[in-house]
Amino acid sequence: MSDPAPPGFRSASDKPFLVGLAVLGGSYLLIIGAMVLADLVFLNYSDRPVLGPEMVKQGRYTGGEVTVSVEPSRGYFFRKGKNDAGLQLGEQHIASDGLFQAAAGQAVLLPHASGRPITASLRPEARVLGIAVTNDVATVTTDVAHGLLWGEFIRVSDAGGPGWDGVREITDTTTNQISFAVANGAQSATKLSLSKPNPLVQALRSRDIRFSIKLSLISCTLTTLLSLWVAVPIGYMMSRFEFRGKPVIDTLLDIPIVLPPLVVGLSLLILFRYMPEWLSDAVVYKWPAVVLAQFMVACAFAVRTMRVTFDQIPQRFEQVALTLGCNRRQAFWRVIMPQARGGLLAAGTLAWARALGEFGPILVFAGATRQKTEVLPTSAFLELQAGRTEGMLAVSLIMIAAAVVVFITARTLGMKRIFA
Amino acid sequence: MIALEKIALRQGSFELRDIGLELAAGEYGVLMGASGSGKTTLLEAICGLRKIASGRIILGERDVSQLPPAERGVGYVPQDRALFPTMLVREQLAFGLVLRALGQAQIAKRVNELAELLGITGLLDRMPDNISGGEAQRVALGRALAHRPSVLCLDEPLAALDEELHGEMCRLLERVHRETGVTILHITHSPSEARRLAGCHFRLADGQVQRDE
Repeated sequence: MSDPAPPGFRSASDKPFLVGLAVLGGSYLLIIGAMVLADLVFLNYSDRPVLGPEMVKQGRYTGGEVTVSVEPSRGYFFRKGKNDAGLQLGEQHIASDGLFQAAAGQAVLLPHASGRPITASLRPEARVLGIAVTNDVATVTTDVAHGLLWGEFIRVSDAGGPGWDGVREITDTTTNQISFAVANGAQSATKLSLSKPNPLVQALRSRDIRFSIKLSLISCTLTTLLSLWVAVPIGYMMSRFEFRGKPVIDTLLDIPIVLPPLVVGLSLLILFRYMPEWLSDAVVYKWPAVVLAQFMVACAFAVRTMRVTFDQIPQRFEQVALTLGCNRRQAFWRVIMPQARGGLLAAGTLAWARALGEFGPILVFAGATRQKTEVLPTSAFLELQAGRTEGMLAVSLIMIAAAVVVFITARTLGMKRIFA
Repeated sequence: MIALEKIALRQGSFELRDIGLELAAGEYGVLMGASGSGKTTLLEAICGLRKIASGRIILGERDVSQLPPAERGVGYVPQDRALFPTMLVREQLAFGLVLRALGQAQIAKRVNELAELLGITGLLDRMPDNISGGEAQRVALGRALAHRPSVLCLDEPLAALDEELHGEMCRLLERVHRETGVTILHITHSPSEARRLAGCHFRLADGQVQRDE
């Protein structure tokens, strides 16, 4: 016999439990949102000025205030370091980062405290000294070293004549000169302003990155189609049939998920040493290697998804279809696949996203050759290696955008299925 | 007719042996038995969805033991009805007919005929998730009858219905039986249902089928 509840019995409040759920779940969601938002916000979308060399010798000054001579009424770009309080030019006080016009000939860097090295940066804005045009190629001379590189893009504005304004690719550089193509028959300009377009424009204009966007989109789509083509039969087989060795196959299918991606690439590379020469010549370090490396990993995820999808469709449907006159093939195509559409979409999206982010195996198996086997993660890596954090961020944003577009498309198609 | 001769089948540790059952053409048979006694398994074996280890299954004068389910001429209504979630009611009814490559007009005629018999004419253009349990049962019945099977296998068709629907469905099953003349094998737990519908009573217990008079 159980005792009746004592009088005045009250169950404990549900609040701590629900608050716990909300806090744990919410904190993760917050990090996801903040992560993506940080990428979007961090990138400065405005154009940057073309700047000359650094005037503050980094880490040299530890004895308090430092005086640097500047040219009055010239533009300077100031970036405050973590040890500095600002910049003083006569009456003018600069405390925040940005471009300013010098009002006096002497700039004083103000540290927070004496004894700590000054870490601020002060760079003059490059001024155009001369403009020459030969054979539709303009050569602009600047009064200071501009630091621009061949292949970068420059925005030309205020030229006053036709055929000048716009974003131009730099075709040649020296310390004080840059050359770029102008429109056919453009007259030499007397004045113009130069600025560096933001990294997103730079990235989207760059031939290398354009190639990598194209290769990424094509290879990911190819990988997705291949993955689904393989994942549907394997998923169906694993879901519906019992056979000897099934646990072994199950384990094999998980290997690409469990294995470190780099090892997948290495294994592929070694595998192709045993392949006939014509085949390995055609694949290794060429674009097919990109697709194969993506496929090996993405397909494993597609197989998982398809298997779960088929597992969730009761076998009853096929059984009824069989009694109604279907053979197994007809039952599969007429009854099961229409129900598996949502899963197929999910598997495709997952495979696509995995393929888009694949990096390690591609680096090992296909290399990172510009305009040959360069996909977006490779671009991001190459940008980072070249010290262009902003370029890397720009490439990341392109990847985020691509992923978002694919996810929204998939979701919309999925919704249509549900609400139709 | 349905005749099972010395059927043996095995499913994991579960085993049925030496099962015999005979139901004349056009009769209404009810098979009863405790949960887990293998009623559904036996029904699946008749439909060809489960391999038998030995014995013969004869449906309407034909030995179908080795035939695939498609060629056995059975209509199967599983316990959970299993209406195809991606198809309209109309398409479900037409499913067996489309597979037999009948003409559009013929299919439409048969579908309307069935819908009338089962009282689901108003549901033809609905999806299965928009109809009630009793209606789903009628659709499943119509789908199984469409290709004019000689044998109809019903797995607890009235189990999930409330009192009122229960009586209504009983009347419908009687009517279907009367009008189509199909041989029906009906699995149930309910003795009253069995008394009301069946001409022939079978009981599956301890791996044996007995005929109750």
